[in-house]
Amino acid sequence: FSAISQSTMPAYKLYYFSIRGLGEVPRQILALADVKFENVGITKEQWPEFKSKTPFGQMPVLEVDGKQIPQSFAIARYVASQHGLAGKTPFEAAWVDALADQYKDFNNDFKKFFYLVLGFGEGDLEAAKLEHGIPARDKFFPLVVKQLKSNGTGFLVGDSVTWVDVLYAEGSSRVAHEVPGFLDDYPEVLEHAKKIHAIPQIKKWIEARPV
Amino acid sequence: LRMVHYKLTYFDLRGRAESIRQVFAYAGVAFDDVRIPRDKWPELKPQTPFGQLPLLEVDGAPIAQSTAILRFLGKQFELTGKTPLEQAKLDMVVDQMNDFAADIKQFMMVSIGFAQGDKEALYKDLFLPNRDKHFALLVKNITGDFILGHITWADIHLANSLEGLVSKMPDVLDGFPSLKAYMERVHNTPRLRAYLSTRPAAPF
Repeated sequence: FSAISQSTMPAYKLYYFSIRGLGEVPRQILALADVKFENVGITKEQWPEFKSKTPFGQMPVLEVDGKQIPQSFAIARYVASQHGLAGKTPFEAAWVDALADQYKDFNNDFKKFFYLVLGFGEGDLEAAKLEHGIPARDKFFPLVVKQLKSNGTGFLVGDSVTWVDVLYAEGSSRVAHEVPGFLDDYPEVLEHAKKIHAIPQIKKWIEARPV
Repeated sequence: LRMVHYKLTYFDLRGRAESIRQVFAYAGVAFDDVRIPRDKWPELKPQTPFGQLPLLEVDGAPIAQSTAILRFLGKQFELTGKTPLEQAKLDMVVDQMNDFAADIKQFMMVSIGFAQGDKEALYKDLFLPNRDKHFALLVKNITGDFILGHITWADIHLANSLEGLVSKMPDVLDGFPSLKAYMERVHNTPRLRAYLSTRPAAPF
């Protein structure tokens, strides 16, 4: 019986560095969807050779039945949409996408501060916090609170978890962990992260993950 | 069959709305193409989901974020991949182009006068290396007439993005003849050719 189910199941492999980074959300979506996958950690030494074999010279890359998909959001959406985790109607799916893109816009500004916090790059941390961290936070998180309140289900879109809940929960919990107190003005956001991380498959992944 | 009512709100610019307008044009679907003057924006802003434009209203229900809107309309008008894997391919190429836009944003802002900076230095040190890197990836991943075997929302968006660059830097596609041919192929489809010959002029 298990031999039959293995031959009809697509073989998923997720390639990324052995850090959370951009790989963590695809991993959590795969875990949430209860999809078996090989979590391949590429080392710094292996990367230059592997890089030329990827579509865009970047990771994460999902390999499914020998075909590759790069770009973390494309991967998340691809897996999620096949497991009821991408919104129940086209309109809900559009909102999941819109919230994901809004998060990316926020992160493009915020990372000018956050990468310094994580120890990447050079710069004046306090200046970056004032110029990028705080403004980006205070422009973005009120929108998130507004969306959570108006949706009213505890999830960002619809009445069940979608891949964008996983994205936001990872992002906000990471920020709150690395910069203590930084999201204290947004308790609804921290509550949302707690709710998502309490979902059994995600809780299990977080407890068992190597990083 | 009830007709869905579409209303697109943006400024009187091409900007982030133009790909959306072109998807409607290609699909031959009517929509309200609302262009608001700058001074009307502050009062409208808080009424939008994310305080930004473009905004699409579908029978009054709002959708923000241009890529989300494009993907939604692509599905509505069957201008998308036929399988999840095909759809993922469109997503990955468009996300990569959006990364490119984010990477060169500082140069573009200075170039159109929205920020201060050394335009020449940014062109040489920021724009050109990113252009070379990302255009090479596009060439590698668009091996046929379109990203997939048929035209999709992603081709309309990409061709529009390339044209936007060409309008500011006429030689930007020199050295990438296949991308130039790709852009022209998309823009020579009958409905887009008609649309492009009659669209309102705008600075960008």
